[in-house]
Amino acid sequence: MVKLLKPLLAAALLCGGMMLSSCSSGPSEEELSKLAELKKQADQLQSEVENKKADIGALTKQIAERNSKLQQCQSDQEAVKKALGGK
Amino acid sequence: MKTTAMILILTAFALLVGAASSIAQEKMGRDEWQSEMRNASNRITSLHKEGRDLDSQKIVLQSQLTKLDADVKTCEDALYAMLGVTRADVQAFDKDLNDMEKRVGELQRMTDAELVGYKDEINRMNERLKEMAASKIALIPRYGDRVHSLQDKVAALMKSLSKEKTYTVGTWSRDRDCLWNIARKKDIYDNAWMWPKIWQGNRDLIKDPDIIKPHWVLKIPEGKELSRDEKSAANRYYRKKATGPASQ
Repeated sequence: MVKLLKPLLAAALLCGGMMLSSCSSGPSEEELSKLAELKKQADQLQSEVENKKADIGALTKQIAERNSKLQQCQSDQEAVKKALGGK
Repeated sequence: MKTTAMILILTAFALLVGAASSIAQEKMGRDEWQSEMRNASNRITSLHKEGRDLDSQKIVLQSQLTKLDADVKTCEDALYAMLGVTRADVQAFDKDLNDMEKRVGELQRMTDAELVGYKDEINRMNERLKEMAASKIALIPRYGDRVHSLQDKVAALMKSLSKEKTYTVGTWSRDRDCLWNIARKKDIYDNAWMWPKIWQGNRDLIKDPDIIKPHWVLKIPEGKELSRDEKSAANRYYRKKATGPASQ
C-alpha cells in the first residue's frame, strides 16, 4: 500500500501543477482591455460604415430624382418646340 | 495511520485542483484571447477597406449628382429661353397655380349656397386662368395640364353658381312682398320662418330686413334649414324689435 502511495502522490502533484499552470496562462488585465478597445474600435467603424451606406442611398435617390427631372425637361423641350413650330 | 493521512491529503489536493480548474474554465484562455484579438483586428481591417470603398463610391455619386444638376439647369435655361421667359417668371407661375389649386380645393368642398358668397372670387379666378392658359409658360405640358385641369374645376364651380335661384321683388300694393311673404311662397321655401336666409344671402342689398325695394333681384340661397349665423341674425333682429323703436 505504501509502495503505491508514492507514485500516486507524484501523479497527483504533476496533475495539480499542470492545472495550476494552465490557470495562470490566461490573458492579463492589460491584454483584456486591449481586446475590449479593439472591439470598441470595430463597432465605431461599423457605425461609420452604416452611415456611409445611408449617405450613398440618399445620393442614389437624388440622382434618380435628377434623372427623372432631366428627362421631364427634355420631353418639355420637345413639346414646346413642337408647339412653337406649329404656330 | 500514515496511510490514512496520506489519502486525506491526496483527496484534499484533488479537490483543490478540481476547484482551481473550474475557476480557470470561467476565465478566458490565452488561445481564446488570441483568437478574439485576431478576429477583431481582421474586422477592423475589413471595415477600413469597406469604408474606403464607400468613400470612393460617394465621391463618384456626388460628382454624378453635380453633373446632373448642371444638366437640368442647362436644359431648363434652354427651355425658358425658347419661351422667352425667366426662371423667376416660371416660379411665380408655379406659385400662382399652387395657390389656386389649394383655393379651388376649398371651394369644391363648399355647398352651392355657400359658394354664392364667393362668386366674385370664382369669376376672378376664371379670368386669371384664361390669362395663364394664354401664357407661353402654359406651353410647357406639366404647367399647361395643370391650368386646363383647374379651368375644368372652376367651370364646374361656375356651373354650380349659375344654378342659383333668384327672386325679383314686386310692389307691396300688388304683390305684398316682404321677406316673410317671399320665404313662404311655394316655389321659394314654402316656409315663412326661412326669411333670415334670404336676408343673410343678400346682405349687400338688404341693410334692414323690414325694407326691401321693388325690382331688387334677391338671391335665394339653397337649403331647408337656417344656418347658425342665420339663426343668430334672426335672434338679433327679434331682440331689437322687442326692445322697441326707442332703443333703435
